[in-house]
Amino acid sequence: MAVQAPAAPPHPAPVFAMKGVTKVYVMGEVEVYALRGVDLELHEGEFTVLLGPSGSGKSTLLNILGGLDRPTAGRVTYREGDLSEAGERALTRYRRRHVGFVFQFYNLIPSLTARENVALVTEIAGDPLAPEDALALVGLKYRLDHFPSQMSGGEQQRVAIARAIAKRPDVLLCDEPTGALDISTGIAVLGALERVNSELGTTTAVITHNAAISAMADRVISLADGQITSDVRNATKQPAATIEW
Amino acid sequence: MRALDRKLLRDLWNVRSQVLAIALVVSSGIALLVMAQGVFGSLLTTRDAYYTRYSFADVFAGAKRVPNWIEERIAAIPGVRQVQTRVVVSVSLDVPEVTDPINGRLISLPDRGRPALNDVALRRGRFLDPDRAEEALVGERFAEAHGLDLGDRLFAVINGRRQPLEIVGVALSPEFVYGIGPGELFPDPKHFGFLWMTRRHLATAFEMEGGFNDVALTLTDRSPSLERAVIVELDAILDPYGGLGAIPRADQTSNWYLQNELTQLENMGLLVPLIFIAVATFLLNVVLRRTVAVQREQIAALKALGYSNVRLGVHYVQWAVVVVALGALLGIGAGLLLAEAMLGLYMEYFRFPLLIYNVSASSILIAVGVSLVAATVGALGAVRSVVSLPPAEAMRPAAPETFRVSLFERLGARRWLSQPARMVLRNLSRRPVRAGLSIVGIAFAGAIMVVGSAMMDSMDELLEVQFNIIQRQDLSVSFFEPVERSAVHELAALSGVLQVEPTNGIAARLRNGHLQKQTAIQALAPDARLQRVVDVDYRAIRLDRPGLVLSTLLAEQLQVEPGDTLMVEIMEDGRPVREVVLTDTVDDLLGVTAYMEQESLRRLVRRDDTISGAMLKIDALAEERLFGLLKAMPAVAGVTLRSAALENIQTYMLDNMSMMMSVNLLFAVIIAFGVIYNTARISLSETSRELASLRVIGFTRGEISSILLGELGILTVASIPLGLLLGYGMIAGVMSAFESELFRLPVVVDPNTFLVSAATVLGSMAVSAWTVRRKLHELDLVAVLKTRE
Repeated sequence: MAVQAPAAPPHPAPVFAMKGVTKVYVMGEVEVYALRGVDLELHEGEFTVLLGPSGSGKSTLLNILGGLDRPTAGRVTYREGDLSEAGERALTRYRRRHVGFVFQFYNLIPSLTARENVALVTEIAGDPLAPEDALALVGLKYRLDHFPSQMSGGEQQRVAIARAIAKRPDVLLCDEPTGALDISTGIAVLGALERVNSELGTTTAVITHNAAISAMADRVISLADGQITSDVRNATKQPAATIEW
Repeated sequence: MRALDRKLLRDLWNVRSQVLAIALVVSSGIALLVMAQGVFGSLLTTRDAYYTRYSFADVFAGAKRVPNWIEERIAAIPGVRQVQTRVVVSVSLDVPEVTDPINGRLISLPDRGRPALNDVALRRGRFLDPDRAEEALVGERFAEAHGLDLGDRLFAVINGRRQPLEIVGVALSPEFVYGIGPGELFPDPKHFGFLWMTRRHLATAFEMEGGFNDVALTLTDRSPSLERAVIVELDAILDPYGGLGAIPRADQTSNWYLQNELTQLENMGLLVPLIFIAVATFLLNVVLRRTVAVQREQIAALKALGYSNVRLGVHYVQWAVVVVALGALLGIGAGLLLAEAMLGLYMEYFRFPLLIYNVSASSILIAVGVSLVAATVGALGAVRSVVSLPPAEAMRPAAPETFRVSLFERLGARRWLSQPARMVLRNLSRRPVRAGLSIVGIAFAGAIMVVGSAMMDSMDELLEVQFNIIQRQDLSVSFFEPVERSAVHELAALSGVLQVEPTNGIAARLRNGHLQKQTAIQALAPDARLQRVVDVDYRAIRLDRPGLVLSTLLAEQLQVEPGDTLMVEIMEDGRPVREVVLTDTVDDLLGVTAYMEQESLRRLVRRDDTISGAMLKIDALAEERLFGLLKAMPAVAGVTLRSAALENIQTYMLDNMSMMMSVNLLFAVIIAFGVIYNTARISLSETSRELASLRVIGFTRGEISSILLGELGILTVASIPLGLLLGYGMIAGVMSAFESELFRLPVVVDPNTFLVSAATVLGSMAVSAWTVRRKLHELDLVAVLKTRE
């Protein structure tokens, strides 16, 4: 297959733009500020790592970008669309057409095989990859008809990646994709993400508290206490295979 | 309150709608049981108290005319405790402003004091003044039906003469709890009434001075052997005086019907509630198992904190106990209310001067106990698998579930199925037992619906057969004494009479060895058109051979088959005994009867060509005038209208059955909803994580709803044919439990009944689906990303 995307330009137009985004959770009588006035732009084809300790607001940021949550204040746009004002239907459509999700605990459907888990998405997408091609891209060409219970954690996570990219999403959002994995399977998963980013040119955001992963990113954003504390562009990207932690 | 108890309450509160649904199902079973037992117990206790307080007799006998001095001989029969002789006559009654024919029975009360046996309970007014000839007490239902009050007058037509009667009191008697006239099945107080007069005046009016024609007695003990011995003696004594054969209390008409009803109540009062309770217990187990599975980690944590397995077991058993207790409380309350309502209905048809509520506490305790034990066992079973794990292991999530490609897909359907369709199929085939149980549970709901309505269908069918295929006359006439056959021509000559057929019946005792049965032999012409003998397939049977034809049930009771010879004791002058061959049996639906071709019967009785009544087909326009003419004929004892009888039965059924129907319907809906709603909630809690994942990757609410509800839909749709089948089986069982000498209900299920059943089940599914869909909309998408199973 190999859909070769053009190499990412140095300063492409922003895919996402966040302006003064604040998110407040009301927990009983206490208000918890998950995000405090965050400004951020993510660009076409960028591989971004969002780094931070738990409670720093990185998951909230990802949820807002993925259309799972709405900010309390501020504006979020995806290309020309305003996510902060979108309704439930519009957000579902947005997730369906543009976003690929990868979760820490894979969230595969246990009753469907690898191929069928991917087909779940390709059946409702406009111009999808063939499920087999998506699985080949993450190195699972030979595990097509295995059920989740017959696969290791790393394999399951790669099926999840295949499922996320099979619809050719504009963005791939990953929440602690290696959080439940040991180092060697974790690296195989990161390798799959790297390959998708480079071969398909998919804008990718990975949140993690594992600083080692930031070495493979174009850009590393650190969060603490609901605010961006640093935003660094890597001069050179380290291949996933060489990362250690 | 202990922390663990607080957890219990909060857990229950979190699943309160499920708890309520299960408690309602439990309560349906218990309510039905309490209702049935309450009605049964109250009727039984009330009957026994009534019989004792008003000295209901043990043996009854009628005769033509017995001199008074014979009473002493009867009292001297060994084993007889008390004797009450009476004069009882059948008359035709004339109530001012009523044109319909009314039949009645006048019964004598002693001139002084109260009767020793079969005493009357005065409801209003006063007892009779022996010096006043025209005073009468009138039966309560008859008074109600005609709006008769104290001081009102009516007339008894005696030998063509109108004897005026003045009502001084309204009464009830243990003899007529179920007050039906001869040949009737349901009380028809508009057309039949009981009246009491002083012996002296009644005897004078009927030329019965110095004698009696009816005797009742009590025995020193109620052993069957003594009863038989006394009946033989009594028959021998009454023989020369036209004795009609004595009958024991068990065969006394009112008591027999009452006993029939009690037996039915007893049978039905156990079967149906048990089905409900079984379904409820099953539901409780499924929900409990799921709850425990979800709380696996909590249980491990509690164990790690030092709670013992026993304490945790108790915790979950309490869970079940609370649900059952709630159901029991609701059920007992509802059951008592329903029992009272049902008794109110029964009191319309079975009249008692007193009512003693008696709900057997033991049967309720048993029902609650069975529910509790079953729930406890279920709870313990569910907890055991979890508490047996070491805490550390239990704190890890359960191993991922193993799925396979379902059989249906392997058969080749796979490539046409979307992924969501495959999920549904594999979820179902992964837990075939539970899917099966859910289907059975829902099917039971459908089946109960079928049973409820099919009883109505059977009744309709019975009426259709009885009043359109068997009885086709417009009215029937009975004579005081058998009359010459030429009376047929007289009747036919009346203007407005279109067709006349004679009827002839004799009272007889059929005997086969030690087995015997008192009944009537009905004579029919071979070509009879107005009243026929019809078999179970509604074909008319031609009576053209000499010999007896018996209802199958009667032949079974007497243990005879076609070809066998029976002894027939004719309950008329001299009580001659003859041998008769049984030529055929007939699967009829109403009553147990013996039939004979009229000419053969006449030869058997060896008497002149007489008839005891006639069936008439008449011109509806001439109806009123005909009644007048018939009443004026001295020989006519009574006139019965077919349309009135039919209307009466229909009213009875509407009153009685519609209440049962509504109760059944309500409970069937509760079961249907309880099972379906819980099934939906359980699969929601099991698949909510998967469904939320699908929502995150872009599936719409509608799409995930269809996955969840697809599963529910398949279960429901699969249950419908099973429910109809089960319902048919259950109705067949219920009908055979209903089989009595009174009637055999044909197993008939109207297609509409099936439709209503299926529609109720589907409706319950729609409501459950709607409720669960709302929960689906509240799925927390963000939480899914962060939590593992």
